[in-house]
Amino acid sequence: MNYGHPVRFGTFVTPVSASPNTPVELARRSEELGFDLVTFQDHPYQPAFLDTWTLMSWVAGRTERVHLAGNVLNVPLRNPAVLARSAASLDLLSGGRLDLALGAGAFWDAIEAMGGPRRTPGDAVDALSEAVDVVRGILDAGDQTPLRVDGRHHRAAGAGRGPLPAHRIPIWLGAQRPRMQRLIGRKADGWVVSLPNLRPGDLRAGNKIIDEAAAGAGREPADVRRLVNIAGRFSPRRGGLLDGPPQQWVDELLPLVVEEGVGTFILMTDDADMMARFAGEVAPALREAVDRELPAPLPTAEPRDSAARAARRDDIDYAGVPASLADSAVEPGDIAYPRVRSTYLRGGAPGLVLRPRDSAEVADALAFARRHPHLPLAVRSGGHGISGRSTNDGGIVIDLGLIDGIEVLDEATRRVRIGAGARWKQVAAALRPYGWALSSGDYGGVGVGGLATAGGIGFLGRKHGLTIDHVRAVEMVLADGSVVRASDTENPELLWAVRGAGANLGVVTWFEFEVDEVGDVGWAQLALDASDPATFLEEFGRVASAAPRDTTAFLVMGPPRRGQPAVAQVMAVVDSADPDVIVEQLEPFARIAPLYQQQVVITPYAGVMATASDGDHQGHGEPVTRSAFTREITPELAAAVADLLRSGVVYFFQVRTVGGAVADVDPDATAYAHRDAGFSLIAMGVDRKRLDQLWDSLAEHFDGLYLSFETDRRPERVADAYPPRTLARLRGLKRRLDPDNLFRDNLNIQPADADRAVAGATGVNA
Amino acid sequence: MTDYGQDLLFGTFVTPTAQPARYAVDRAVLADRVGLDLVTFQDHPYQPSFHDTWTLLSYVASRTERVTVAGNVLNLPLRQPAVLARAAASLDLLSGGRFELGLGAGAFWDGVEAMGGRRLSTGHAVDALAEGIGVIREIWTADRRGGARFDGDHYRLHGAKRGPLPAHDIGIWVGAYKPRMLALTGRLADGWLPSLGYLPGGTADLTDLNKHIDEAAAEAGRDPAAVRRLLNVGGRFTAQAGGFLDGPPQRWAEDLAGLTFEYGTSAFILADDDPAAIELFAAEVAPATRELVAAERSR
Repeated sequence: MNYGHPVRFGTFVTPVSASPNTPVELARRSEELGFDLVTFQDHPYQPAFLDTWTLMSWVAGRTERVHLAGNVLNVPLRNPAVLARSAASLDLLSGGRLDLALGAGAFWDAIEAMGGPRRTPGDAVDALSEAVDVVRGILDAGDQTPLRVDGRHHRAAGAGRGPLPAHRIPIWLGAQRPRMQRLIGRKADGWVVSLPNLRPGDLRAGNKIIDEAAAGAGREPADVRRLVNIAGRFSPRRGGLLDGPPQQWVDELLPLVVEEGVGTFILMTDDADMMARFAGEVAPALREAVDRELPAPLPTAEPRDSAARAARRDDIDYAGVPASLADSAVEPGDIAYPRVRSTYLRGGAPGLVLRPRDSAEVADALAFARRHPHLPLAVRSGGHGISGRSTNDGGIVIDLGLIDGIEVLDEATRRVRIGAGARWKQVAAALRPYGWALSSGDYGGVGVGGLATAGGIGFLGRKHGLTIDHVRAVEMVLADGSVVRASDTENPELLWAVRGAGANLGVVTWFEFEVDEVGDVGWAQLALDASDPATFLEEFGRVASAAPRDTTAFLVMGPPRRGQPAVAQVMAVVDSADPDVIVEQLEPFARIAPLYQQQVVITPYAGVMATASDGDHQGHGEPVTRSAFTREITPELAAAVADLLRSGVVYFFQVRTVGGAVADVDPDATAYAHRDAGFSLIAMGVDRKRLDQLWDSLAEHFDGLYLSFETDRRPERVADAYPPRTLARLRGLKRRLDPDNLFRDNLNIQPADADRAVAGATGVNA
Repeated sequence: MTDYGQDLLFGTFVTPTAQPARYAVDRAVLADRVGLDLVTFQDHPYQPSFHDTWTLLSYVASRTERVTVAGNVLNLPLRQPAVLARAAASLDLLSGGRFELGLGAGAFWDGVEAMGGRRLSTGHAVDALAEGIGVIREIWTADRRGGARFDGDHYRLHGAKRGPLPAHDIGIWVGAYKPRMLALTGRLADGWLPSLGYLPGGTADLTDLNKHIDEAAAEAGRDPAAVRRLLNVGGRFTAQAGGFLDGPPQRWAEDLAGLTFEYGTSAFILADDDPAAIELFAAEVAPATRELVAAERSR
């Protein structure tokens, strides 16, 4: 039988130490020839060979595409826990190209000579079984519990798991005997065997044992790939097995695939010409013959094993994932899942993460989401969304991270096209060589899509306005899957709405921005005494709003901590490279209160953004935040905030200064309407109810809110975010563009009351 | 005043974080490009947030051209010495002689044990390191006839094959602070690799520590100068000189040259992941230090 694995081809290169470059070059040649895999035998007691792990790591640095594996690694001389971490490392460094093939050991005299153990055949199988448990346990980095394996030969006594590899590293085992074959069926992902060592019928007999053992362990035979090392020669006339012209090889290998289910052939040779002949004349012909012979062609991607499929949610049609998205989709049982499940501030457990690469694939993803109307739908650019919930429990996530291009369209007008999945640190770094910058938020890890559809209150804001004030056009996918462009001349009403309420109306895939000329800037981080928080706040408000437009300052405060001085952090950018100007603008801030610490550097804007971590998000729970705009920080507001901080309910309080260029824009020009605000306030807490109570009591001081930082789900918040005229326009658009409210996992605008006469007509030109 | 007269080496000590995967590689490639002599990584195999150091060293050597790579220092308790010896020789062969072997006795025994390794007392760990070095040198002695034999309490060889022969005479650098480890270093090692941050008395401690090494070397019939004195250092680049290794590059150069004259330190390894600091260290501190040391030595 055939197990449905795509057929792969590999080479088996002798790791000679006498000419160390030879195996490296043969590995590179294998890659050039299109082999999928390069393998090396591992005999650590054999000085005629290079150390296999070292060689594989070296070869990984000299190749781009080909997978690497030992054939097979000697477990008696390699600590399995260290080996597992090494495998994860090599997989990460090589971009997901490491496969693990392990062996129980065979040459016990030599192993013992190295100071290793001598094991009976039975013990060797047990030891390998324990080693597999250790290796799997370490590689299973999504599991937070310490690893314990209490074996007779191999132990893990509370070892931390990880690092998380780049792809699911398969564990293949070399085996000839039934005991080992049963172990493979129970635990392994592959059976490695050498054809020259087999007698007729051995392959079928071994398969049967493996298949039965797999079934007995609740697995499926297809969970185990069958890999066969082959040797032979090309000769003009037909001779014995694999001794003849390429067509004879094809004829002889074909039944091994079709009838015995072999998925991988590994050619044992150090002859580059033979490799070339095999790659050119055997491999492609064999693939074609297999597809002709089998009832259906084999898949091109590795199928998920039964354990991964078991982690699926019941109410998602996984088999129906559009073909365009299938290979990049991440499911709960996938190795990449811990990397994508959560966001910066929110823990998540989505049932499916789709990762489209362009607008057409976003449309495919939305079509899939429309077929699951009962499930939450999150749209993610960088995963920093607070009100825009970019993960969920059991639902669908559309992750735009692969749409992250940055392209200068016109240097004269500083027009730049940026994908929604790019991060602001990448944007800043890409614009830097042109002497340009685009004001973003305060953290370079944030994604473009979320910020540029909400507002974008950043460090260049008072001089250059909001991020959305630079949006000139967007490419966007609507709820019905249509791909539209919005600009001043095409769908202008949609462009108006995207700039402040985009998340409610569709998925923006690409933005066209007009960016600013920005040279080096002064970047200041000041720590000041805030033991009198009310006075401090009031004074900060006065200084920050009186500062010239080139200076934009943010403030972070926390609750008083016992035994520690109360400290306020002021972060400010002065859009000037002149040290005298920078010092002059910062001095009023430094005079607000005694200065504990200061750091001022002159840096490109990219330097301000560069500090963001590139790591995966590991958020837990739900963020509890409130947001508000205020025109000024009055003494009454300052006193109220001081009380709020003293309450202990708020652990993080931020003030972002706006005004300046932000206020130059007509409130009706964009869906972000609170142009007269002087400050954006953000409070983060833990207790939803207490935070809401306290924040609600401050309402008299507030004039609306900035939707990005609001997590209160009560419907009144929408009216705080959008003044009546703006909201009416938005509800009308929402009714036309998203009447079924597909995009609702955000500060949600309800469609205007249905008016059957207009419903259905989008009014938007695709 | 002890200057052992070796050429100066300048290197980096980069955090081998596994995420982002290429963080350490990028900094190592930078160090190679700007002309540093060494790229080193700490080795804590029980620490899942780090790359496996051996894998990283091998990969980095493959992606660089000139720089020498070394563990700083490798965890012997979790690395089988005979296998390590062949791996070291292999990496030295593949890289054309760009590998040195930094070794440590192990310190975090909970971590070692969690990984299936043996928990050793401090004393036994020192003995084990001495035996490990013996095993490694036996394996590297490729031209001697007969199988390699070593009968230790912790490590043994029973007629293992010797080799492969490394591309160059690989130095064994030991991380050591306490008298027994320092004595081992003087007796058996080619280099001593402590971290300034672990010296409670700062650089002043080096005098006494050096003395232990020198005496042990002399007792073993070795020239104390056969043990290179390396040092992991950290500091701050600032416009105005503030203190030791806190100031502009020229201030650093004066401080480091001072260490060479005063304590014989001849390799400075900067523990800093900041690419700008790595560049300054290579472009300004290293040449200025070399100049000061050359001038003083030629007097």
